Amino acid sequence: MTKPSGASVGIGLRQPHYREVFERRPALGFVEVHSENFFLDGGASMQMLERARAAYPISLHGVGLSLGSADALAERHLGKLQRLVARVEPALVSEHLSWGSVAGRHFNDLLPLPLTHEALALLSERVDRVQGLLKRQILIENVSTYVAYRHGDLTEAAFLAELARRTGCGLLLDINNLYVNAVNFGLDPMAGWDALDARTIGEIHLAGHTHTDVALIDTHGTPVCDAVWALYEAAVARFGPRPTLIEWDTDLPTLDVLLGEAARAASKAGVCAEVEHV
Amino acid sequence: MSDLLACQHELARALGDEREAAPAMRWLAGEAALTESRLAIYRTNVVAAAAKALAAAYPVIRQVLGGARFDATAGAYQRRAPSCSGDLHEFGSTFAEFLADDDGARSLPYLPDLARLEWAAHRAYGAADADAIDAAALARLPVERRPAIRFHWAAGTALIPSAFPIVRIWKIHEADFDGEFSVDWSTGEVALVAREGLRVAVQALSAGEAAFVAAGLGGASFAAAAEHALADQPGFDLERLLKHLMGTRIICGFDDDKEE
Repeated sequence: MTKPSGASVGIGLRQPHYREVFERRPALGFVEVHSENFFLDGGASMQMLERARAAYPISLHGVGLSLGSADALAERHLGKLQRLVARVEPALVSEHLSWGSVAGRHFNDLLPLPLTHEALALLSERVDRVQGLLKRQILIENVSTYVAYRHGDLTEAAFLAELARRTGCGLLLDINNLYVNAVNFGLDPMAGWDALDARTIGEIHLAGHTHTDVALIDTHGTPVCDAVWALYEAAVARFGPRPTLIEWDTDLPTLDVLLGEAARAASKAGVCAEVEHV
Repeated sequence: MSDLLACQHELARALGDEREAAPAMRWLAGEAALTESRLAIYRTNVVAAAAKALAAAYPVIRQVLGGARFDATAGAYQRRAPSCSGDLHEFGSTFAEFLADDDGARSLPYLPDLARLEWAAHRAYGAADADAIDAAALARLPVERRPAIRFHWAAGTALIPSAFPIVRIWKIHEADFDGEFSVDWSTGEVALVAREGLRVAVQALSAGEAAFVAAGLGGASFAAAAEHALADQPGFDLERLLKHLMGTRIICGFDDDKEE
């Protein structure tokens, strides 16, 4: 397993770009895929992942585990993740600070959790369980949100810092999510950064969002905006360079657009634009 | 019930149905009208994500219905049978049964079988890769032991019988189809859906072929499957079928009961 270096940048590898990425082999520090797209026994997708793994360090990013579901942890889902991690030996494994299902109904969305002591205790137990089963550290990502809870005991940064302290998990800092939430709720996106131990930050996500009348929506379908780039520079100054991902999921652009965004991240993180292949 | 669980139950109701949003509001901060319109963002996302997953599993049904009608049908299906897995690739397993009951789809009576075919193809896509049968071991097997062998079938192999020509319908909707866009509606077809290498292949089987495969998939011995096939289609070419099934690794191994 090759670890992406501190200053490496990667892209979310999506199906329409598979062929071009393998033909061109762009210099990238790592590529990230959604874990759930590879909960398969075999076939073309798994073969693609094997090829990607031979060319780049892989980051497995889960979107469906629903760590924060208060009723139960999805053991079958976790079993599939365990199997995939054993097969791929990824450089990074990440999940979200969110919930998505209750009473057997799954929303397949990253719903925010109230930042209470109860939720912290639950998440700590779940992250311990997942890391124990996977026999490795996972990263937990802050999510974007459109609603705010009335009750909360901790700020998001304090919640994540304490989760990392209790479980030894790392954090995936999604800069766009910080920005989206800051705009949606009139917050300072850097609030609480002092509470975060730089050593716990294992990855950074950069993405675009969409403006609507009622909120900024985290669509991953537009270029990274200037404000998010500025926040990224501040994060690099505060936490140091970290493996950074350009995350683009809807209205997928050409590969060159993604590589351009990745090169911009690399230059802002203080490394040369053409990132050295790990 | 813990606060967190109560909160998630009430938010779930609010996300499932806007008319049931009131109880959730006690957990949420901010001005009610704005919060309600922001809950609607989630509601839209949830419906769109499931519809997108359904469209990925049922591309031909989507072509037949058209995008707008498919999305409306997907919305109705979600209300009846919401997603219950964090892996959206599992969503849609009961879509065929839903289409059979759906008033809007009843004018297209072949849709449920076509949906069964597409779900089988969706499952076969990610099924385990099959090995080639050990032909040398099969050839070495004494002739008198051959009738008792049971074949291994590639994971994901499925047989979909229909009163409609579903293989033909499926084929003319394939992106690379370049033949005549005509369908002979007078006859049904049995579809064999299976992985051939990395590709998911869909083919129509004759009555004898279908009987052989159905019996074999059901665990029958080679002799019993062949007997079924010949009863359904006297004179059917077993050798040709076996050559095809082994060459494509749809038959990928065998058990010789006597060796165990």
